[in-house]
Amino acid sequence: MNNGEKRIIPLTEGLYTLPASPDEKPHLIGSRCINCNELYFPKKEKGLCIHCQQKTLEEVELSRQGKIASFTIVLQPPAGGFYHGPVPYAYGYVDLPEGVRVETQFTGNFNNLEIDGDVEMVIEKLYENAEGDEFVTYKFKPLKEQK
Amino acid sequence: MKPLNEMREVAVGGIGVTKWGFYENAEWFDFGSEAILNALKDAGMEWKDIQAAFCGSVYQGTGSGHQAIKEIGLTGIPIVNVENACSSCASAFRLAYQTVAAEIYDIVLAVGMEKMPRGPIPSTAFRPWELKLGFNVQPANYANIAVQYMEKTGATIEDFSMVTVKNRRHGTLNPNARFQKPVTLEEVLNSRLVATPLRLLHCCPLADGAAAFILCSKNKLKSKHKAVTVAASTLTSGVYGEGYPPADLTPSLKYPAAMSLTELSAKQAYEIADCGPENIDVVQAYDTMAPAELWDLEELGFCKPGEAPHLLREGVFDLNGRIPVNTDGGLMSRGHPLGATAGGQIYEIVLQLRGQAGPRQVKDAKVGLAHAMGAGPNSAVTIFKC
Repeated sequence: MNNGEKRIIPLTEGLYTLPASPDEKPHLIGSRCINCNELYFPKKEKGLCIHCQQKTLEEVELSRQGKIASFTIVLQPPAGGFYHGPVPYAYGYVDLPEGVRVETQFTGNFNNLEIDGDVEMVIEKLYENAEGDEFVTYKFKPLKEQK
Repeated sequence: MKPLNEMREVAVGGIGVTKWGFYENAEWFDFGSEAILNALKDAGMEWKDIQAAFCGSVYQGTGSGHQAIKEIGLTGIPIVNVENACSSCASAFRLAYQTVAAEIYDIVLAVGMEKMPRGPIPSTAFRPWELKLGFNVQPANYANIAVQYMEKTGATIEDFSMVTVKNRRHGTLNPNARFQKPVTLEEVLNSRLVATPLRLLHCCPLADGAAAFILCSKNKLKSKHKAVTVAASTLTSGVYGEGYPPADLTPSLKYPAAMSLTELSAKQAYEIADCGPENIDVVQAYDTMAPAELWDLEELGFCKPGEAPHLLREGVFDLNGRIPVNTDGGLMSRGHPLGATAGGQIYEIVLQLRGQAGPRQVKDAKVGLAHAMGAGPNSAVTIFKC
């Protein structure tokens, strides 16, 4: 099955679009309520808007750039054994221009993290398992580090 | 619905507590029953006087209250177990209060007890995809609130550290506290970094223990203690649009909450108790993390948003200050036995209003407030008068 070839596996399915070609960029997938205009990330699988309680959600691709609302650099591993990524790691919240706050890990140089700082979404490795398979996730990276 | 302030007055008949700490050779039913017996003795009542029991705990599993009560003796009364995260004991207390106020029972027991699991605890608030991304580090979730609070108010890491210093200083006067040694500002600022900007000594420690209360109608009071009555007991379990990372809540940018859950539970409590923050003589605020005490005091209405750090520096929240806060050392000194935590706060308020707080007694304390929060989310405000 593995054939010695490294597999790239999304840590969680359904959080972002997978680019079909190298020119396409990934997007986070959210939900928009066509009744009250509320936005959610991740998308609500049940299709129910938890603001207006109508089943009026549609799937939307979210903006790739936003501003840091808050961040912290974590120096101890989380409880429970579910997390296999590196420590220290950084996580917090990013506000996207259409009006939704997204919880995310940050990547790049943590010294470049600042509140209100511009960031862009990237897909990046979180960790590799013993077979060499790469588990990837969305993260946000300071825009000044993007090329 | 009959307004709560038109219902029968409810008095605190008895209070009981255990020392907070780590009990290697005892289980929750051991210290739960110990606290109940202490409350019974304090009330001057017989076990057969108790007509119903509401038992708060988080990690003890099915029928946890029954296990504690079995240690004293089953008497045919209803026993109801209440799991409401860090507000479990306040929620059990509220149910006991309501059944006495509604004249369903005259004498009711409320207890909170916890033997904390050893090692790190993953909260059930987080979904699998969030656990895989490591979003369940509670100090980090508080750090995300703290950095926004710093940005908005200009509060500094030194301000947060001074909360720990104050509460640990108060804890030296509490023989039941887990930590009874003071810490210096330097010790807090040099403790291990957990999640920037928060350090180990900005986090409350864990603890085991229990607190129990006997609530009754005034005509059933038997002890000689000064009568303390429950002026309000409110619970708010979340409002739409408010962000609260410890309970995995991201705020809505389109529909932000008009009032936070703490503000709402406080507003309801003040209305029912017919008083305002200006009437409160002693406060037990929710200091799971040091900075949380500051925004908690603001949301409870004791000062304007962003003012708490200045008032802290002026000593307003000290034992001998204008608004003494966490007079028993708070969670920082007592520790955090989740299902019993709110009980520790309530116990201190009743002790203060009775005038039995010894070296940490607040002079002329007549009205007191206890606030518990936690995952869920929940916010429970209990106000007492004497």
